[in-house]
Amino acid sequence: MSLMADDIIQFSSVLRIAYNLLAGRDYLKRKKFREKKKLISVALPFSDLIYGFPDLVPVFPIRMHAFKIHKYLTYLSLGSDIFGWKRVSKFLSFVKNLGISEASRIIEEIIGDVIDTVNDKYNEMYDLGIESGIPNDFCYGIKSLYGMHVSKGKNVEATLNYTIRCSAWNKYLESLKTIENPAKQVWIDIPPRNIGNALELLTENIYDAIRELEKISGNNYDKNILRNHFQVANEIRKYYKTILYEISTSDFYPCNPATFSEILVILNNSFQDYNSNAIRYRDNMLSLVNEMKERIRNKIGMDVSKMPRILVTPMFGGWEPKSHEIIYELGGRALYADWDMLLLLEEIPISKFSDPVEAYAQFLLNATKTGIGCDNDTLTDSYIRLAKQLNAEGLVFIQLFGCHSISNCYAMLKEKIRRDLEIPSIALTFNKIGENVEQVKTRLGAFMEMFK
Amino acid sequence: MDDLEILSEYSLYLKEKKEEGKKVIGFIAHDNIPEELIDAAGFIPLRMIFAGNDDLMNASHDYLPPSTCAFAQSSIGLFSLKPSQFNFLDLLDYFIVSNHCVSDICASEIISKYFNIPRLNFYISYTKNDNSLKYFKLELIDLKQQLEKIRGSEIPSKDLRESILKYNKFKKRLLEINNLYMKGSKKLKIIQKALLFGPDFIQDLEQIIQEYKEKSPINQINSKDLVLTGCSIFINDYLIDLIEEAGGNVVFLDTWIGNHYSSQIIDDKLIDAKKDPLNLIIKRFHDNIYGDHSVPNYLEFKISQIEKIYHDYKLKTGKKLGVINHIIKFCDHISIMSAHLKNQLQEKGIRVLNLERDYSRANRGQLSTRIEAFMEML
Ligand code: SF4
Ligand code: SF4
Repeated sequence: MSLMADDIIQFSSVLRIAYNLLAGRDYLKRKKFREKKKLISVALPFSDLIYGFPDLVPVFPIRMHAFKIHKYLTYLSLGSDIFGWKRVSKFLSFVKNLGISEASRIIEEIIGDVIDTVNDKYNEMYDLGIESGIPNDFCYGIKSLYGMHVSKGKNVEATLNYTIRCSAWNKYLESLKTIENPAKQVWIDIPPRNIGNALELLTENIYDAIRELEKISGNNYDKNILRNHFQVANEIRKYYKTILYEISTSDFYPCNPATFSEILVILNNSFQDYNSNAIRYRDNMLSLVNEMKERIRNKIGMDVSKMPRILVTPMFGGWEPKSHEIIYELGGRALYADWDMLLLLEEIPISKFSDPVEAYAQFLLNATKTGIGCDNDTLTDSYIRLAKQLNAEGLVFIQLFGCHSISNCYAMLKEKIRRDLEIPSIALTFNKIGENVEQVKTRLGAFMEMFK
Repeated sequence: MDDLEILSEYSLYLKEKKEEGKKVIGFIAHDNIPEELIDAAGFIPLRMIFAGNDDLMNASHDYLPPSTCAFAQSSIGLFSLKPSQFNFLDLLDYFIVSNHCVSDICASEIISKYFNIPRLNFYISYTKNDNSLKYFKLELIDLKQQLEKIRGSEIPSKDLRESILKYNKFKKRLLEINNLYMKGSKKLKIIQKALLFGPDFIQDLEQIIQEYKEKSPINQINSKDLVLTGCSIFINDYLIDLIEEAGGNVVFLDTWIGNHYSSQIIDDKLIDAKKDPLNLIIKRFHDNIYGDHSVPNYLEFKISQIEKIYHDYKLKTGKKLGVINHIIKFCDHISIMSAHLKNQLQEKGIRVLNLERDYSRANRGQLSTRIEAFMEML
């Protein structure tokens, strides 16, 4: 199956999200130098607080790099500048008339390209992280993030640091101070357990961080701005969940399953900072949902009813991106939903709290208590919950080298899978992108046999 | 006294305590667990300080991947490996799951879950500010309640105060031991043994201190003097022997079972009958700035502390200390800063060996070579 140029027009939101992910550098330069905004480095989906300050721009640091953007994506974006994304079709015919052969390239190739480009950069940053002193023992994500800060940290005013149960993570955040001319650090300590008045303490910790951010921004915190942002953030979460639970579990996909998995990868990446513009991201997510539904209604896409749903997790700290392609070739469809496993796609409960900061504290504490969990018993329950919600028929667990927190619990998880889910599962070890593709192929080959 | 003797003596000691009706509460050996509370509840705190060979380490792989720190792995191996020289662990009644690091959480949880030892919880914040102190208090109260439930009655403040005083005295003696000039392996054994027996070992410590004070203090051993920082050397480990075989002598242990533990003394003047004793433990947590759990200033504090140890020693003896930073492979806390710790100390003229290893026997030769090369440089 291939999606030809005209299909792309009906599916342009994903390209917009991809483009905004890759073209962050120019966007951020404009924000920083022309509009005099300040960039704040964020990682994991913890950018929301920054949106309470219009003068601050959250950025997941890889987005400060220059990426090789596929020519076609650039044309599309140029077209959108001239005609608006909705009328980009005019631009496409214009491009076709000029005889540019890429005009008929299929969408999956473009998306595939985006993933490859981002992953090449991740690998480059991984090497830089090691070169700059991060011991090899650490997870892929930490090594690359350190590299990103070594190369681009000078552009940010501060890093927003949340402590989580992963000690490597907390220590990595401290280690950013060892980089030359380090950015200021703003810390938010999330209490490890929800006991006593932990919610109140977390609320105060967030307020302390807000005071710091006020100093950086030069403007006072305005609770209405934050509340409005949380509304946007909740809409984003709602659309993300629609894609995860309505569309990914359905029998007909708006594109081929490998491309669908890649869209999930793009969402996983871009959700961390909403591509530095939450409203634009929300609008794109809404279009994405609508476009997907529209395509399904018009039977554009692929019948996937015979393809087993394989949950691949955890992947946010690093995984082999060829996995979904391999699973697809072997007759399955790979689903990625780490953020929901950690309960970071839950609604920020602004309707229950008059103070948006308290609502956010509640959101964080809930994710800590029930999603990430203060031990592996809770964490493995999260994997099981997610697998159930996605109706997963198989689970591929990524055992990430150097991760002692989220991806070290396969032994416990396997037991629960056997007891509660009765679906096949497999653990794949991962160290660096591209290092072990052959082994992944072989192991997934054996695994997918179980579905025949 | 070798490790086996210590273990068998300790085994007898624990059995006696159990016969007296005391409960034994285990936890992985890092700082910040308030053992005074356990003591005041009338229970025996058992600090897990047994790790150092590959049998124990490898016996954990059914539970955690091999890319877990060798200490956490070994702590699990203590329970899964049979037959075992650690049968006294069968006497454990409870195990504390705590978050010194995430491997501490995972290993403790596994020990509790798979080896059927009821679990207690004690978690601490990563940063240190007013709110993390308040949170620490919540955890202290929670732990106190968990212990009270077990013993079936409240822990009187008076008892807690007495326990604090007792542990204070114990730590002071340990600090004195750590500052004595003696063979590192001997010092390590004394400290390891003391940490098992707790304040019941105070008299022995005092006797040792007395004996050593009578000897001429310095230059007894013609060796290259070292401070050991980073990860501890636990019972069963051969590392200190390798250091001594290479001509080194560890004169100061700046680790969890060394200075991290013994320096956590509460000022006696503060121990006042009118004050809530929990606040004293909070104060101690607050003052424990050299511990590796906290962020974001661990590296700065650690560097300044080692510098001070180095200069004090130079002033006292005229000798320059070398630093061995012991990094148990995959230790999140010690490993990540190791290159920076080394660079920054070397810039100040202090020689540092970052010694990363797990407990495999196969590494022994390579470790010796590295230690010998470092000794040459000193
Ligand atoms: S949880 Fe694992 S993947 Fe995530 S930062 Fe920690 S070590 Fe890395
Ligand atoms: S990772 Fe380090 S701090 Fe944690 S249990 Fe292992 S040795 Fe101790």
